[in-house]
Amino acid sequence: MIATLSRATPVLMQGISGRMGRSHAAGMRAYGTNIVAGTATRDDLAEIDGVPVFRDCAAAVAATGAVASIAMVPPADVRAAVQEALEAGIRLVVTIAEGVPVHDALAVGRAVRAAGATWVGPSTPGLAVPGEMKLGFLPDAALRPGPVAIMSKSGTLSYEIGWRLAQAGLGQSLWVGVGGDPVKGVRFADLLDPFLSHARTAAIVLVGEVGGDEEEQFAAALAAAAAGADAAKPVFAVIAGQEAKEGVAMGHAGALTFGATGTMHSKRAALEQAGVRVFATMERLVADCVARLRG
Amino acid sequence: MLLVEADGKALFQQAGIQVPAGVVVGKGESLALSGAGPWMVKAQVPVGGRGKAGGVVRCVDAEAVHAALARQLGLRLKGHAVQACLVEQAAAGMERYLALVIDPAGYGVRALFSAAGGVDIEQADNVESRLCPPDADAIAAAFAELAAREPDAWRGALVATGRRLAGLMLSHELLLAEINPLFVGGHGCVAGDAKVVVDLNAFDRQPELAALLRARPGIYADAVRKLDEGFDYVELDPEGEVGLVTTGAGLSMMLVDEMTARGMKPLNFLDIRTGQLRGSPARLIRVLEWIAAAPRVKVVLVNIFAGITDLGEFARLLADAVEQTPALRVPIVARLVGRGAAEARRVLSERMPGLAVEEELDAALARVARAAA
Repeated sequence: MIATLSRATPVLMQGISGRMGRSHAAGMRAYGTNIVAGTATRDDLAEIDGVPVFRDCAAAVAATGAVASIAMVPPADVRAAVQEALEAGIRLVVTIAEGVPVHDALAVGRAVRAAGATWVGPSTPGLAVPGEMKLGFLPDAALRPGPVAIMSKSGTLSYEIGWRLAQAGLGQSLWVGVGGDPVKGVRFADLLDPFLSHARTAAIVLVGEVGGDEEEQFAAALAAAAAGADAAKPVFAVIAGQEAKEGVAMGHAGALTFGATGTMHSKRAALEQAGVRVFATMERLVADCVARLRG
Repeated sequence: MLLVEADGKALFQQAGIQVPAGVVVGKGESLALSGAGPWMVKAQVPVGGRGKAGGVVRCVDAEAVHAALARQLGLRLKGHAVQACLVEQAAAGMERYLALVIDPAGYGVRALFSAAGGVDIEQADNVESRLCPPDADAIAAAFAELAAREPDAWRGALVATGRRLAGLMLSHELLLAEINPLFVGGHGCVAGDAKVVVDLNAFDRQPELAALLRARPGIYADAVRKLDEGFDYVELDPEGEVGLVTTGAGLSMMLVDEMTARGMKPLNFLDIRTGQLRGSPARLIRVLEWIAAAPRVKVVLVNIFAGITDLGEFARLLADAVEQTPALRVPIVARLVGRGAAEARRVLSERMPGLAVEEELDAALARVARAAA
């Protein structure tokens, strides 16, 4: 459902009365997101900054028809928040909390899959349809409508790359932060089909990190797509963590290498084999994107 | 993060999985060997491929053990100092591979088995696996299937080992629990090695694992620091010349990569999480103190891309932190982009006139290179 989001999509914010919730709700609305409802555990709130507040997701969905939700709740509450959203019929849930235990993420992933819904998280800056709306807090300074679809494990690294591309005149069609957790909702490979079939997307930028095998799975999906059809959209990639210390998670729980597992070598080889242009620096990636897409 | 073998084996033993008798020896500690050899001397560093990197030595007698210890302790293996070695009786038997790993795309636990265990398992094409729900009975049933062709003499013990490993994985919220080799024979099954990855984000409800890390503050310095401080500072090179003040895991890693490729020597990786500073310079002071204590640091690079963070406020906190860290005597280069950058420049030019502020990363790195030269 990510590729069909628009400024009309009715959005619910879980935890809208907290410090984070209230401030990010304001930022999202200023950007154009149609926030139609919020939930809060306190029961003395009828509305906050003009948004009606409900006791739970079921009441909010019944009253407003919200189909997407962003949960501004702490890591220990993510599992329950997603469950509540799914039970209310929400189709897309975004969670932003950093530090959700992996075994919790497993349970959330199983529940989301069973419900046939979509989950972006556990920890992500969210996603955006630049120029229309955003779910989360991708910085406005880096958002600019254009032809490049971005998928990223890292918030800050994608901000930097999106900002540099925008400075060079290349904006984004879609931007999805999948986050740096080992177990998550939407993964790189899940985004390939929506990005390939998205009319406004002319090219894909993948911002990866060492650890896990998402980049390798994306490469396999891309190779399969290229073999089956003329789905030719160029893919550009950078992967952080060449110098990562073995055995230690580098900030993101998923950015963990040891032995031959999760290494730069494996990712770069798989992506290049599938025809992806992989760069060692941000500068070279941006220069190549500009040369190929604006040239 | 990856536990060292001795701690992985301690968890195995607790779960009822047999391990060889062994003892952990640090530098300057004496060792009284009991029983008969041969022994294995194994560097306790959290990396894969220790054997091939020279961190595992088989010793026929006590003299060889002491020589191996003298050689190993103080070495660096794949970025980690060898602070301790595990000395244990060499186990014997046929070698199997038995492992459980979280399957992120399948939202389950993958049970893996191979009848050809040993150091080359990563190249082996005969590892069979089953995707299971996170449930000990289901995992045990998978191991029973995977080990169906094993001889009666130890098949039961092997499946029981798999079940115990599953219990451990689920109760301790592990991300990986791998035994390679698992020695099998008429005596049953003995874990020759232990590779266990723990989830630091689950430590609030895993006090036993937290205690395990805190018992080895030297070996687990990066992880213990994260538990204590709530953010990630990883020492990359104790001889590093550039101290980094950065936020965001991906951008910080990328910066380290790009600097290293240019021949610079970063001291550390840092994801300070500017969004959690909450108006206090405390975290910045901690980081600047660690950087100041490193012997070869010549310059500090501050690189912040502010999405939500207000750089004006960050600049004030940075100036406060530098004032309160008199031990820091090296120049600082700051590259600040995003929300409030103009205000940040104003604040810094007023309060820290000697500090260079750049907007382009390349220009900032050129300044850092000159300062470190």
